[in-house]
Parts: sequence; C-alpha cells; structure tokens
Amino acid sequence: MGDLAQLVLKRLGYGLLTLLVVSILIFFAVELLPGDVAEAVLGQGATPETVAAMREQLGLDRPAIIRYVEWLGGAVTGDFGISAVSGDPVMQVIGTRFVNTLFLAAYAAVIAVPFAIVLGIIVALLRNSVFDRVANVATLTSISSPEFFLGYILILFLAVKVPLFPAIASLSGDMSFFQLLERTFLPALTLVLVVTAHMMRMTRASIINLLASPYIEMARLKGVPPWKVIVRHALPNAWAPIINVVALNLAYLITGVVLVEVVFVYPGIGQALVDAVSKRDFPVVQAASLIFAGTFILLNLAADIGAILTNPRLRHPK
Amino acid sequence: MTTFSDKDILLEIKDLEIQGYSDETWIDIIKGVDLTLHRGEVLGLIGESGAGKSTIGAAAMGYARDGTRISNGSIEFDGMELTTATEGERRALRGSRIAYVAQSAAASFNPAHKIIDQHTEAPVQYRIQKRLEAQEDAMELYERLRLPNPDEIGFRYPHQVSGGQLQRAMTAMAMACRPDLIIFDEPTTALDVTTQIEVLAAIRDIVDQFDTAAIYITHDLAVVAQMADTIKVLLKGEEVEQASTVEMLKNPKEEYTKSLWAVRSFKRDQKSRPTDGTPPIISVKNIDAAYTGGEKVLDDVSFDIYPGMTVAVVGESGSGKSTTARCITGLLPPMAGEIQFKGETLPPKYTDRNKDQLRQAQMIYQMADTALNPKVQIHEIIGRPAQFYSGLKGQALKQRVDELLDLIELEPSQYYHRYPPELSGGQKQRIGIARALAAEPEFIICDEVTSALDQLVAEGILRLLDRLQQELNLAYMFITHDLATVRSIADEVVVMQQGKVVEQGAKDKMFKPPHHPYTDLLLSSVPEMDPNWLTDLLEERGVENVGESADVNQEPPDGTAGDTKPAS
Amino acid sequence: MGIFVLGYYGFLIIASVILAYVGWRKWFLMVFALTLVSFVLGIVGGAPALRFVAIFAIVLAVAAMVSFAFKEFLVQIVRPNIAKELRTAPLTASFGMFVIFTYAIGGIFAPLIAPYGQAEVIAGAFAPADSDMLLGADQLGRDVFSRIIYGARNTVGLALIATIGAFVLGALAGLLAAVKGGWFDTFMGRVADVIMSIPSLIFALLMLSILGTSSWVIVVVVAIIYSPRVFRLTRAVAGNIVVMDYIEAAKLRGEGDWYLIRREILPNSTAPLIAEFGLEFCFVFLLIAGLSFLGLGLQPPIADWGSMVRENATLISFGDITPLIPAAAIALLTVSVNFVVDWMLHRSSGLKEN
Repeated sequence: MGDLAQLVLKRLGYGLLTLLVVSILIFFAVELLPGDVAEAVLGQGATPETVAAMREQLGLDRPAIIRYVEWLGGAVTGDFGISAVSGDPVMQVIGTRFVNTLFLAAYAAVIAVPFAIVLGIIVALLRNSVFDRVANVATLTSISSPEFFLGYILILFLAVKVPLFPAIASLSGDMSFFQLLERTFLPALTLVLVVTAHMMRMTRASIINLLASPYIEMARLKGVPPWKVIVRHALPNAWAPIINVVALNLAYLITGVVLVEVVFVYPGIGQALVDAVSKRDFPVVQAASLIFAGTFILLNLAADIGAILTNPRLRHPK
Repeated sequence: MTTFSDKDILLEIKDLEIQGYSDETWIDIIKGVDLTLHRGEVLGLIGESGAGKSTIGAAAMGYARDGTRISNGSIEFDGMELTTATEGERRALRGSRIAYVAQSAAASFNPAHKIIDQHTEAPVQYRIQKRLEAQEDAMELYERLRLPNPDEIGFRYPHQVSGGQLQRAMTAMAMACRPDLIIFDEPTTALDVTTQIEVLAAIRDIVDQFDTAAIYITHDLAVVAQMADTIKVLLKGEEVEQASTVEMLKNPKEEYTKSLWAVRSFKRDQKSRPTDGTPPIISVKNIDAAYTGGEKVLDDVSFDIYPGMTVAVVGESGSGKSTTARCITGLLPPMAGEIQFKGETLPPKYTDRNKDQLRQAQMIYQMADTALNPKVQIHEIIGRPAQFYSGLKGQALKQRVDELLDLIELEPSQYYHRYPPELSGGQKQRIGIARALAAEPEFIICDEVTSALDQLVAEGILRLLDRLQQELNLAYMFITHDLATVRSIADEVVVMQQGKVVEQGAKDKMFKPPHHPYTDLLLSSVPEMDPNWLTDLLEERGVENVGESADVNQEPPDGTAGDTKPAS
Repeated sequence: MGIFVLGYYGFLIIASVILAYVGWRKWFLMVFALTLVSFVLGIVGGAPALRFVAIFAIVLAVAAMVSFAFKEFLVQIVRPNIAKELRTAPLTASFGMFVIFTYAIGGIFAPLIAPYGQAEVIAGAFAPADSDMLLGADQLGRDVFSRIIYGARNTVGLALIATIGAFVLGALAGLLAAVKGGWFDTFMGRVADVIMSIPSLIFALLMLSILGTSSWVIVVVVAIIYSPRVFRLTRAVAGNIVVMDYIEAAKLRGEGDWYLIRREILPNSTAPLIAEFGLEFCFVFLLIAGLSFLGLGLQPPIADWGSMVRENATLISFGDITPLIPAAAIALLTVSVNFVVDWMLHRSSGLKEN
C-alpha cells in the first residue's frame, strides 16, 4: 500500500503546486496593465482624486507581493476582496452564481455521463458498422459546432417555433425544483449535446484500444463468451480510461458553461465573468478565473488519482 | 520416433487461404496451405516473420484475427468443419479441446485478475470441474511444470510473477481442460536462453505426459528441433516442405530449407594479442555505471581490445553488455572508472569529445530497421559521415559513397537513390556497416548485428565484417548472445552477468572446461540443432539445475543476486 | 393527402423494390427502414415532417455528389502518388476538402465576390432580404451576405494566423525538448501543464480584459494558450523517434540539435503534425469565435462571424434564422476540417497496424 499512498500524495502535491502557480499567474497578469487597476477601471476621464480614492479602497498603494499573499489568504477562506465597480464584496457578486453554474453543470452531467458512456461502449463494439459511421459523423458535427450555434438552434426550434421550453433561463427564489429543471432544460441540453459527443468519442477510442490487448484475444481463444469478455476481462481494466474521460469532460462542462450562460442569459458565474471583463472589474475577473481554474485542476486531479487507484498493478504491489 | 497412422488424424487443413485487409483491399497472406496433425503429434511450424505461421496457428482454432478473413479452404478438427461451423460451435472448442499459448505471457494474462482465477475460468465455464476442484488441479499442474510454491503462486497477480514462470503458468492454463490440441505461438521468444531452457523442458514434459497434440510455432530452428516430431517450413504464406524432424535436419530438400539449416561453415583463425607493446585501442577500466535514479547496472567492468582483433562480449539481457557499449560511446557517462583510447583517456560524455574522438567509435546496430532513417536516401546516409568528418563535397563525396557501396558489395548505381524500406534485411545491415566505415574508424562496436537475420544472410555479414577487418585493420567489440557467432569470429571472449565480468580470455580457452559456473550455464543453455540436445542436457544436469533454479552466482547472495527479472 | 406525400412514399417503395431486386442489401435495408420510419413520422408530424426529411435527404445526396465529383477532380489534377492516397478518402473527407476549398476562395477573393463593403450601410436596420441583398440587412443596415463573405477572410484569417503561431511555438518547443531532454524537457513539460490547467476560454478572457482586444493581442494570447497542446503532441511524436538507433548514430557522429530536428526527426513526423494542425485549427477557430461572440474578438466595424451572431441574436425570437448563418458558417468549416483530419488520422493509424 505504501507505493500507492505515495503516488497519490505525490499527485496531490503536484496538483496543489499547479494551483499555486496558476494563482500567481492570475494575480500578477493584472500587473501587466499599463498604469494600474484603478486607472484601468475608471478610464481616462477620471480625476486624480477619484483614482487615488480607489487605489486606497483596493489597497493598491502597497507592494504587489503583500497584496498577493493577502489575496491568496482571503481566497482560501472564500474572501476575494471587493468589486472595483460596485464596491460590494466579490463573494456576494459571484457566490450564488457559482452555485447556479454548478447546478447547471451537474444537470447536464447527470444526463450526459451515463448516456455517453453506454453509447460509447455500444459504438466501440459495433465499430466499422453503419451505426458507428453515422455516430462518427454526428459526434464530429456536434463537437465542431460552437456552443452558441447549438444553443440558438435549440431556442429556434424548441422555444420559438414550437414553444415547449423558455428561451431565457432566468431564475427566481420561489421556484419549485421541477420548474427549475424546466427553466434550465435548454441550456442543459446544449451542454449535453456537446459533452456527449466528446465523451462518446473518447469512450469509444479507449474501449477499442483496450479490446486490442493480447489478454482480450487470450480470453476469446479460451472460449469465453463475448458478453463475459466485456464484463470480466475488459471492464475491470476500462475504469481508468472511463474515469479519465468523465473527469476531462466535466472539466470541459465547467468552461463550456460560459458561452451557454450568455446565450440563455443564465445567472451563473460565467455571465458574471463576461460582465466583469467588459466592465474591467478585475477583482471579480481574478476571482472567477481562479474558481474556474481551481475546479478544472481539481477534476484533472480526480481523474489521475482515480486512474492510479483502479490500476491493478498498483493496487497489488509485488 | 513414433509413427502416426491416418485414422488418428486430429486436425486436417486443406488448401487454406487467408486474406488480410490493408490499404482498402484484401491481400492474400496465406496462399493455399495444407496441414495434417495426428493425435499426440507435435508439429513445428517455422519460418521468418511474415511467413504466416501465427495466422495459421489461429486458423487451426477457427479464429481469424481482426482485419483478416479465411477466404478459402477447409479446416477439419476431429470431424468438425470449422470454416462452416457457427461461431458458438467454434467457441465451444476453444479452451476446452483446443488451447492457445501466446508469445508474451505478461501481456496475455489479464492484469486485473489473479492467475488461478484466469486458469479456472475455462474448466468452470465448460462445467468440467467445480471452482475448487479446478484450483486443486491448477496447483497440481503448476507442480508438474516445476513452478516454485505451486500452492501459492496462482493466487498472485500476473505482474507479481517473473516472465519464465508466467509462461509456464500459461501452459498450465492451456492444459486446464486437458485439450486435444495446444497451439504454442512462439512461447519462449521473449525469454532469455537460461530461462527458455526450463520453459522448453516443462512444456515438452507436460505435452508428453498428457499425450497432447501441439502446433509449435517458432522461428528458432534449434528450439523446434527439440520440441517437434514433424517440421513444416513456411515462406511468405506458402509451404516450402514438410518432413519428420530427424529427416528434415538430415536431408532438407528445398534450397530455402538448406539455407536455413546451413551450419555455420565460416570460421577464421584466432588471432592473439600483439606482443610488441602496442597499447590496446580501447581499454575499459574499472567502470561503474547506473541510469539516472536506478540501481548500479555495471560493477567494476574492465577489458581491453587490441587493434585488429575481435572481442565478443556475451551475456543475457540485463547483463550490462549494451550498457558497456553505451559507456564506451559516451552516451552514458560512467560513475567511476574511465575509457581509454590508445592510452589516452576519453571524455566521459560524447558531447565533450572532439570530432576525431567521435569518429573512432562507430556502431553497427542490431535492428537495421531502426538504425537507418526511413526517409533519407542511401547516398545521404552513407555520405553524411564522410561529409561531416572529412568535409567531402560534390564529386569527391559521390566518389567516396560509390567506394563505400563497392566495399559492402552493393552496386552503387542501383542503390544510390533508394530509401531503406526498399531494401532487404541483409542489404540494410550492409548500409549500416557502410555508414560506420564512412567515418574511417579503427574501432567498431557491433551490437547483435546478425541476430535479426536469417542464417545465410548472417553468414554473409560475418564474412564481410571479417574481410573488412583484414583490409582495414579494424578492431571489433562484438556484442552477442549467439555462441555460434562467437565461435566463428571472436578472438577473445568476455562473459558478463548482472553487470559484472565473470570471466574473460582467449576464445579457445573459453570453450574448454573448466570455466566459471555461469559461463558453463550460458554455454550449455543455448539450444543446438541436435534433436537430442535438450534430452541429453537434462540428463546431464538434472531438471533442477537449469535456468532460474541453477545457482551460479559467483558471490554469496547479497539481496539482489538471484533475483529474477520479470519479462516486460 | 397531397401529391407530395404520395410521391414521397411512392419513391421510397419503388426504390426499395429496385434495391432489393438488384441485391444491394445494405442500401435496401436503409431505404426500407426509412420507409417504415416515415409512416410513423407521417402520422405524427404530417406533411411538414416528411418535407423536412425529403429536403434533408436531397441536401445529403447533393453534398455526396458534389464531394464525389470534387474528389475525382482532385485525383485527376494532382501527382500520381498523392492521387493514390486521395482515392482512399471517404465522402466525408472529400466533402471537407470541398468546403475548405470554397472558404479559401471566398476568403481570398472576398472584395471581388461581396457586392458591398463590410462597413457599408446600404439599407435600414434589419431590412428584409431582396434581390439586392440576398440575406437582408443587419442591425445597422449593412448587407449580411457581404459581411459573411468578408468574415471568411477576417475570422478564418485570424484563426489561421493564431494557429500557425501556436504551432510554430509548440512544435519548436516540443522538438527541442525531445532532442535536448533533461531539465529543459522537464521544465517545458511543467510550463505546458500550468498553461493547460487554466481553461482556455477563461485564460483568454483574463488576458484580453487586461491587454485589450487588438488583433495581434488576440493572436499572441490564443497562440500561447494552445501551444501546449502542440507541444505535447510533438514531444510525444518526436519522443518515439529520438529513441531510434539512427538518431543515436547521428548524435554520436556529433550532429547538432538543429540538424537532428531538420533532417532526422521532421521528415518522420510530418503526417501526425499535419493532422494536429487541422485539429488545432478547429480549437483555435472555435475559441476565437467564442471570444468574438462575447464581444472580445475583432472590433467593429470589421465583419466577424462570432460578433455577427451576437449582434443579430434578437432576431431569433422572431423565428428569423439570419443570426444562425454566420454560426453555421463556423460550424461547417470546423466540421469540414474535422472530417479531413479524421480521415488522415484513420489512415496513419491504419498504416501502423500493418
């Protein structure tokens, strides 16, 4: 077990280190601004007094290193400072929105993951058949379409031409869970379309890769029936690639959500990020970027650790 | 020698044709092969790679690999026609009546299950035995195959067991349902000679004990001579000839077979070291080496190579013979010790050596396929060193390339503009030699240069190397595991084991006892063409004293010695 | 039941009978299955559903015929060894090549093809299509058709430059890392890891919000974001080559890194690198389209497909498909490149198996 724990710890450590480097990158990228945040936010028309006031408000008069340490310390406890535009705490701006985004991503994932993996395995087993070719063209088309294209097509057909679902996914506090699902159906479906295609292709590739292993041929030559070859010989070795596929696509979901939120005017963190970018509200941009990057790194980490934990060679050391 | 009567026919293949799919068309890979196998008979299928032996082996189970199809002919197994049988009927034979032993046991065992669970899968599925009975039986088979700890070894995972043991466990698995026929597909090719011998012995014993028929596929003539009653020779998907083993070894009929059988006729006189005080051209002095972060792989290695002489370095994989070569060329700087060239110390790293020092140590590689860039024309491959070291250009360069092609007996005008993939194995190896010669070195490292080639071609290469040595007074460091090659070309021999030199000296002394027990084991483990070689050897040494079980470490076990290296 | 519906079923049934008679099993099964599905579809959706199926089938058939003709055309005009490769292309890949070719013509000759300038205001806002304006006018009264043609030049051109940037950066780093090995290799690998651990769209938003949205900033930022992907692939491809004995022989000869890369490694890695270039273009193109959809791409009045979608998005709620046209243009090019890449990857992996 020692080897395994060591590997997992090493991977965790590496993930944390990456997160640290990324936070440095995100924080100090803003220092690339000509002038500073206060000048950038207020624009050229601002008086020196208002600029100075904002500098004081944001604490810009202190060295960047100190501000970074404070910022990172705050970030760990969920405090990202205050918005440069509204003056509200950043967390107040993006906190509930992050939860909304997670809800949307989870909604899409719950539909897409089982659907895509089952379809991916079926397509892998029927490889080179007509069904496989049609699936190949369909998934390629889906991953090649920008999210906003799929989103608007769905709006056109399912909200405008045949008004089944609302085109705008606005939320209010007193909605029932069922209403919530209905309201957010179109954005979720858009994400499902893109992610399913990705996931199916990756699942297919890794299963085909697996079926080419000599031990699968050996099982066949031992007279093992086809379903048992899949269940007993392929699946136990397929977990690592499948976990990898799922985690990578969940990570993809988290970012694909930005465009979809804008299309459907969904109150998520992606919208907040885009708004903040156009208003040049850097504390919000930094916070949202860090949250997105953190989730992304976390999911990749989960994929790698999952792969380590399901590897029989590592689970049963010599 | 047993004779087989026609009523005992177990498998009869007639006019078998198999096609493979490539470049959007079906191409014939087996072009009408007949095969008859009797109960209890062991048939050896031999041929080079691409001869189609493995494909025929799979077809004998009614199995066509992905991307191949049986396009014509009949395969009749014990009265059942496999080409027209349903997939279910064919599957019911596999594992129960026909079993398969693959080349790489490490890759063919499922890493997710214990060995014994994979063993009992077929008997339990066919309801021949209950799970526990099947386990008992597995342990008994493990014992018969002389696996250590037969009661316990099955409960390990495949990666926890060494390559030679895994190969025997796979043979046991094939035996699980006591099949009528087992297909052995190069079962010892991936193993070292000293491991190979115990696997061969175990396979032969168990096949004899249960009187199982077998098709033994290999490219190694000496191995097939030990195992088979009958030998069939294949070439490019067609049969060349078939005869009983004794007959085949004594009187091969076809030219191709004769060329395979040709016993090394080439032998040259042994030279001895110069006595006039000439310094050795290469002197390896007390070298220790390790790959980054790994264990020490060379331990105090020393030997000298004198001008114009051939020193053969022999040993199994992992013995450090190739690592020594890497130290000499400067690819792996040693941790301790030094390499001297004509008495002057060479910088340990090749990047620190000057052009003249680099020029002196040229290499010829085992696999000519990976040694020549497939996208570069022959004249550039050969011409580049001449251009690089001697600054030749234009007409002078072309002349030099022509000269080198003449030297390796290839017609310059024909090969000048060709690419390596268009050449045969032997021709490629010659180009590799020409590239080394283009640097005008005095010393060349030959790394298993003949082991990937057929006998006859290999002999041509050896003759060429010998001629070049005489004409150009070259010194060779000849890395090999093939003792026939050592006999024919070496002046001195260095035997290595686990990173140490266990013995060295003049060739004639090395082939005469007494010598170091490891040298003895190594020399005796290399299969010979005599069909009785294995039997005699086992009688002489006893089954317990071959391969991994033989204790030949020169020092008392220090923890690492005696460890078996799992095949990867 | 109208004449269309009768004709529709009549055609399908006669076609299945003929296919069954000549023994084209696969085609027969497909057509007959379609017939059966159409019965259900006809009952549920009526004539409009059947009309949709018919139009879809006709578009598919026309696309297939054009692709086939285009492939035959290419086979005739290129050198024999390339023609041999081309013959193996499936219809999807030929279709892809045809579309890429069309876009290239559109982009290169945009000023000649487009009837109006990209910033020219010629009508009222959202003026409907007429013989003068094929696709009507946008929110400022500019000709949508002309802007789409110009978009082929602007959006695709920008994506192409950014891809080339990412490619040169990533491939060079990957080749050097493979040849040099050691700490340089490790260091470059870590840098790539860090860049790739920030989602690309987020990274781009962050950098563009700081550095502004001039075209060259977009090119540089996008090139840096996507170069690690190229780096990893190149490193892997070159990594398989540097272990070959011929590289060792060249190293021992004393050849420099540049010679190794140019003469020994590159000639052996062109196929995967070309395929990767196609894939990379798709990623870059989608990212740039996404950015411009969010208003961070090329700035007005330059015609740009992503921002055209955004600007006209309100039309969607009136059931007008105009905003979908630039979006479809993006999707069509991406899918075409993917079709070609898919074929190339299939070919190179198929060759490996032999």
